[in-house]
Amino acid sequence: MSENQTGNQPETAGESGRGIGTDEWVAQHEQRLNQASGPFAALGQRWLQLPRGIQWLVPLTIALLIPFLTSNDYILRIGVNLGLFLMLVVGLNLTVGYAGLLDLGFVAFYGFGAYMYAFVASPQFGIHWPTWLAIPMVIAVTALFGLALGTPSRRLSGDYLAIATLFFGQMFLVLAVSSDAVQFPWMQEPVDVTGGANGITNVDPFSFFGFTFSSMTSYYFLLLGLIVIGVFATLRIHNSRHGLAWRAMGEDALAAQHMTIPPVRMKLLAFTVGAAVAGLAGSVFASVQLGVFPSTFKLPLLIMLYAALILGGLGSVPGLVIGAIIMVVLPEVLRFPDYSNWLFFIVLIVAVVTTLKSWKIITAVFVSTLAVGFAANGIFLALGVPYLTTPEWTEGPLAPILGAWVFMPEDRLLYGNIAFVLLVVAIAWMTTRTRRTRLIALPFVLWLAVFTWEVRLLLEPSVTRQLLIGALLIVLMAARPQGLFGKPRVEVL
Amino acid sequence: MTEPALSLRGVTKRFGGLTSLDNFSLDVEPAEIVSVIGPNGAGKTTLFNVVTGVYTPDEGRVFLHGEDVTGLPPEKVARQGIARTFQNVRLFLNLTVRENIKAAMFGRTRASLLGSIVGSPLARREEVEKEEQVREALEFFGTRLQGYRLDQPAYSLSYANRRRLEIARAMATGASVLLLDEPAAGMNPAETKEIAQIIRRLRDDRGYTIVVIEHDMHVVEGISDRVIALDHGVQIAAGSFDEVATSPAVIEAYLGKGAAVTK
Repeated sequence: MSENQTGNQPETAGESGRGIGTDEWVAQHEQRLNQASGPFAALGQRWLQLPRGIQWLVPLTIALLIPFLTSNDYILRIGVNLGLFLMLVVGLNLTVGYAGLLDLGFVAFYGFGAYMYAFVASPQFGIHWPTWLAIPMVIAVTALFGLALGTPSRRLSGDYLAIATLFFGQMFLVLAVSSDAVQFPWMQEPVDVTGGANGITNVDPFSFFGFTFSSMTSYYFLLLGLIVIGVFATLRIHNSRHGLAWRAMGEDALAAQHMTIPPVRMKLLAFTVGAAVAGLAGSVFASVQLGVFPSTFKLPLLIMLYAALILGGLGSVPGLVIGAIIMVVLPEVLRFPDYSNWLFFIVLIVAVVTTLKSWKIITAVFVSTLAVGFAANGIFLALGVPYLTTPEWTEGPLAPILGAWVFMPEDRLLYGNIAFVLLVVAIAWMTTRTRRTRLIALPFVLWLAVFTWEVRLLLEPSVTRQLLIGALLIVLMAARPQGLFGKPRVEVL
Repeated sequence: MTEPALSLRGVTKRFGGLTSLDNFSLDVEPAEIVSVIGPNGAGKTTLFNVVTGVYTPDEGRVFLHGEDVTGLPPEKVARQGIARTFQNVRLFLNLTVRENIKAAMFGRTRASLLGSIVGSPLARREEVEKEEQVREALEFFGTRLQGYRLDQPAYSLSYANRRRLEIARAMATGASVLLLDEPAAGMNPAETKEIAQIIRRLRDDRGYTIVVIEHDMHVVEGISDRVIALDHGVQIAAGSFDEVATSPAVIEAYLGKGAAVTK
């Protein structure tokens, strides 16, 4: 009798009803919320319906075509940087995204790999190993280094592990900078091991059986190949025995241990594999640069790596690719004032469009923002504020429209600073108001933002670059806290 | 006489001055259902933690099918064949139902990391086996964890389904002994009835040896071959449900001194 009862309990979901209130409807609540958001949703839907193979083929084809479309070394250089960055993100994803180990010493593995390659393939010690021998050695040694640095994870977790690994990362940096005169007890003279702050130069480029990687293009394709392998491997790991074990551990280490998953072994494996990938990336880096310099391996790189991971969505494979692209390409694009100007307006418009969701309101907001601009222009003129018509303002793609709309006072610093303060106050004030009030205030705030941007912020390209990246990240994270491609997660308490 | 599936010999566990388990011995026969009852703080969960390797006992040994598993870490104990559920359900909440169960099969599979990446024959064969195991483990619970729910994250499940999934996950480890820590806690009467049936079927259909900690006396009465009552780490009564339920020591432990007399 027991069999019958358990099998045929009244089930609300399933065959018959899939309406409001049933189990299934409730369970899929989150998906529906995510689906129908904003006018860009239709495009995203169509993309998601494509088979996964094609989804990956599109970016791959674009990446393959780039070297044929341009011979510009600068663009290929960005491609190579992106490639190296992506390799690091792929490695870090194993430790952080899957196993949930907060490893803040990760960049040390990258540096370690780079120095190791430089040791065996540069005039520093007069050793010039062939590449086919040097690379496996570097990977193996860096993996061992990762194993050694992973040992604190046997006992530490969470914040404590983060502090311990951060210490190791910084220690590596200090050692790299200060080991230019190491006194070994069995030697007369101090030995220059790492070249100190100047690093090691004249590192050999990669060379396999007579083919030397001399051009940026060759490295570009090498890295593209490595990344295809890396991404493919990550996709395979995701649902594999080890991938699931890591993800389970990241969720609840104690429960995972009770479900036959050995925590220490899996943690060390994550550290080791991550380090091996970083070591490989490091040796490529050393040979692209033809040199190694300690300043590369400082904290900002680590922060960028984490930003890319989190932005893309922890543990999501397409996410880490997109995250890396944003974090590498964006700062380069923003070196050009015109592009950063474009980006500013695109971010602003996209932010408004995606948050407001209804075309009617969006149009109303944009029209009133324009009106506010012309009105402000009129007020400034009426008050007799001296203004500029300098060439730097009238040039650029948006000049014809903006010139008549944004007022450009002669004293850009003064008005810009005032506007900046007002803007910050206005945004802070808005967050405490109801949606209705916010909507009414929005055109004024938007205009104020544009005014501040044009009058003041464009004067400081290096600052605006950082500011814009920061703003973009904030907007993205506010819109999608789980990252661009991450699934919504719940925290385990 | 057959060898007991699970056997504790004089197990003692102290936390500082508090003796949580005091010279405790227990033999559980294969395919037997033993319930452990007792007031809060009696040492029931400590008992589970000692058996599964969370704590190493200060004295005494734990045997599984005659093999000494005392002092092994939890993952090794689980591989030897003891799986558990938790008092406060501890699923991998952001993993799907399917993934939760597959993750628990780590110890039964052999594929290497590299093998999984390149798709070695072993890895591929194991993947097929795992799918089969998922189906088998979930079939046990009827349609509740099947269909669209397979690929839902565990956090989207109802409380009762989470408890069911936790049992399914424990089954997936390949264990022969299940330790269930308050499987009916927080469930409504219908669900409680169902969980009691599930526990009985785990034994009848699948031959599991089961130790249950439970506060719901209807469940205890319905499923137990034997009931053990604990208080202050000491076994105060053992036997059939009726024997234990009427034992003066048990009534005293629950209701205080004198309660047994006035009754």
